[in-house]
Amino acid sequence: MEVLTSLFNVALLVAMLRTTAPILLVAMGGSFTTKAGIFNIGLEGQMLVGAFFAVLGSIWTGSAWGGVLCGVAAALVFALIFALLVVTFRANEVVVGLALNILAGGMTISLMKAVFGTRGSIVGQGIVGLPKVQIPFAREMLGSWAPLISGYTPLVYVAFLAVPLLVLFYRRTRLGLHIRVVGEKPEAAEALGISITRIRYTSSLLCGLLAGLAGAHLSLGYITMFTENMSSGRGFMAVAILIFSNGDPLRVLAGCLLFGFADAFSLRLQTFGYPSYLILAVPYLVALAALFALSYRARPKLIRETAETMRRFLSAEPDKPSNPRPQ
Amino acid sequence: MDPVSRPATEPAADYAVELLGITKRFGAFTANEGVDLRVRRAGIHAIIGENGAGKTTLMNVLFGLLQPDEGEIRVDGKPVVVTDPSVAIRAGLGMVHQHFKLVPSLTVAENVFLGMEIRRNGLIDHRAQEEKTRELSERFGLAVDPTERVGLLSVGIEQRIEILKVLVRGARTVILDEPTAVLTPQESRELFSTLRGFTQDGMTVIFISHHLEEVMEVSDTVTVLRRGKAVATRPTSELTKAEMVRLMVDRDVSFERPARAATAGQNILSVRGLWARDDRRHPALRDVSFDVRAGEIVGIAGVAGNGQTELAEVLSGLRPASHGSASLNGQDIVTLSPAGVRAAGLAHVPGDRMVRGVDGNASISANLIMGRQNRAPWKKGPRLDWKAAANEAAKMIQRFDIRARGPGDTVRRLSGGNIQKVVLAREFTNEAPFLLIDQPTRGVDIGAQEAIHDEIMRQRAKGVAILVISVQLDELMKLADRILVMFNGRIMGSVDGDTADEDQIGLMMAGIPQGSVEAAA
Repeated sequence: MEVLTSLFNVALLVAMLRTTAPILLVAMGGSFTTKAGIFNIGLEGQMLVGAFFAVLGSIWTGSAWGGVLCGVAAALVFALIFALLVVTFRANEVVVGLALNILAGGMTISLMKAVFGTRGSIVGQGIVGLPKVQIPFAREMLGSWAPLISGYTPLVYVAFLAVPLLVLFYRRTRLGLHIRVVGEKPEAAEALGISITRIRYTSSLLCGLLAGLAGAHLSLGYITMFTENMSSGRGFMAVAILIFSNGDPLRVLAGCLLFGFADAFSLRLQTFGYPSYLILAVPYLVALAALFALSYRARPKLIRETAETMRRFLSAEPDKPSNPRPQ
Repeated sequence: MDPVSRPATEPAADYAVELLGITKRFGAFTANEGVDLRVRRAGIHAIIGENGAGKTTLMNVLFGLLQPDEGEIRVDGKPVVVTDPSVAIRAGLGMVHQHFKLVPSLTVAENVFLGMEIRRNGLIDHRAQEEKTRELSERFGLAVDPTERVGLLSVGIEQRIEILKVLVRGARTVILDEPTAVLTPQESRELFSTLRGFTQDGMTVIFISHHLEEVMEVSDTVTVLRRGKAVATRPTSELTKAEMVRLMVDRDVSFERPARAATAGQNILSVRGLWARDDRRHPALRDVSFDVRAGEIVGIAGVAGNGQTELAEVLSGLRPASHGSASLNGQDIVTLSPAGVRAAGLAHVPGDRMVRGVDGNASISANLIMGRQNRAPWKKGPRLDWKAAANEAAKMIQRFDIRARGPGDTVRRLSGGNIQKVVLAREFTNEAPFLLIDQPTRGVDIGAQEAIHDEIMRQRAKGVAILVISVQLDELMKLADRILVMFNGRIMGSVDGDTADEDQIGLMMAGIPQGSVEAAA
């Protein structure tokens, strides 16, 4: 019992919300491209350059918000290149996305070496982190539950506010509706004079905007530093969530909370002295389990075909006529 | 003989739309060559012709989806350069495409107003859109529920939504591309009365079809296209069906039901109480039972999407059944894989040939041995004998009159009719006792249709049990010994092919069971 209460408490929930925020931000960005019918595997790279340039920007301008701006701008440049190659030149989305991810990884490392002369990570050097937002009266109203809503860095609030805003965006705005149509039935959009190219560029840039914010949150949020490959697969997790959820904001939120929880939970388990490499696998195991559960629909046929193949190989004497081929 | 090629001397305002000397080329292929088309205001003008005669190209030129290489377009007497569909829409044209361009997850009203949403304070005003849609649908007798999701509606209603889309954009001339292909005879008649209502309102209708009876029934004027040229424009009342066919294909074609000997033998396929679900997990087949005997053609009629696809998929092992049985030659096939069912004696001509019929990027030889590549004479030790395959393919090309450069020709390059012949050539030479043919002549022109029908009759004479699924009722009435009508996953009744009556079948296609039909008759 004591173990359980020390595992599951307000601190765990707070940690979950904190770890959810960056995945949620980048996944909300990916929601735009997913809804517009683009399979955007480049989220990881956009997030990474966002994180790097946010650090660079905060050193240059001496302000955290200047940093955020720089991070977003860098991610937007990546998103623009992605859209240019995929939408205008019709290159393969996966190839372009992977190439940009690799570029982001390599570029941040070389720039780090060129600008700071170091490898590995940038710490100190005058990086300004984002302030924590204290919600007034939170402690008076919620008592010990106050950390649930107060004391996060601003981008955490942005991430969670983005969810209802996106729901509204897809349901009630013209651009949101057109993004959905372009993704679901491009020929319908074309016939009605909705420009598929324009919509896809727009959604790709909106995606870059949120991916950049997610990156800035990584490097200027709770820790103010940049390390090599700092996004560490969050962009890919977002891609996985987007595939399950089809870009639907509420389902994206549910998926992100699941990953956030698994992440926070594995961090918490580490303090209990389990081997860390096992614990670090927890979020990925959750991903696999979710994948399996959600592919349920495709399974009856799969099972049937597997069973038949097995039967054919296992039974020497099939219960059917041995020569079924008709003449 | 050819009044259309004379320059217009009468006042141009008589015409809602004029296409003058339209030529459209795709590389070396000329789809439209100097086509003149003048459409009278407040009339229904039909454009007929075989597949590939250039009907759809011509309408795409008019609607701005294609740019003509030569020629001029006039709307209401004024020259218009239709650079894209929005220009056409502004000029008062509206097009109802053959393949509906509706978004399944949106509501009827959202689809109708897509691209011209009514907004209040920057947000879409769903209520106003629904109100306007309701108003318009009542005015033109196009009953729809504006709040319903399009994905749940039938094709007939989808078409009404497409027409509403055109009307809401202020079209005065409505172009319909093969509008009745997906409708029951009754729904078609409703559509025609809506169209006549349009002309009474002073609107103009252009109607593309290759269903000649409808053209006779509904149109005032007919233009016949043949190999890209307008060969005649006449008042409909001056033409007979046979004359239209002669103008379309330049020779006589028989619509007669071929004579046949009673050859039906023992049951080959027995389906009992079959249930299955569609991709959305809704029941698509409900308690379906029937038999197909050797030397018998059984036809499945029905509006597309009433379970025919699922039936074909269950019988060919592509979809699991939820209940019931189907036995082929006494062997239960519902639990078998596609390969298993084929081994049990099925040959299958799928409904969508590009998806399941052929590999478009492979050669004709490869496509002809697909699925039986492990048999002699194509299998030689561990490898395939491509020379034997090419020899076989050359024979098939001859026998089935496949128009291609040779056995090595890529299938994708062929026309729809010739691709269909590749599929038929493979399946008909499998010597299988049961032949499942889904849409034998979809997108195939009249000349090739006849050849395919002849081949099906030859298979019947050889004692093969044949199940033909088709949305073209006249095709089933020509071929089938018995016609079963499907509606909403059920078999509504069965009629004898010799005495089949279109109205009776039409009622069953609309969901009125056979018993009540006979009571009403």
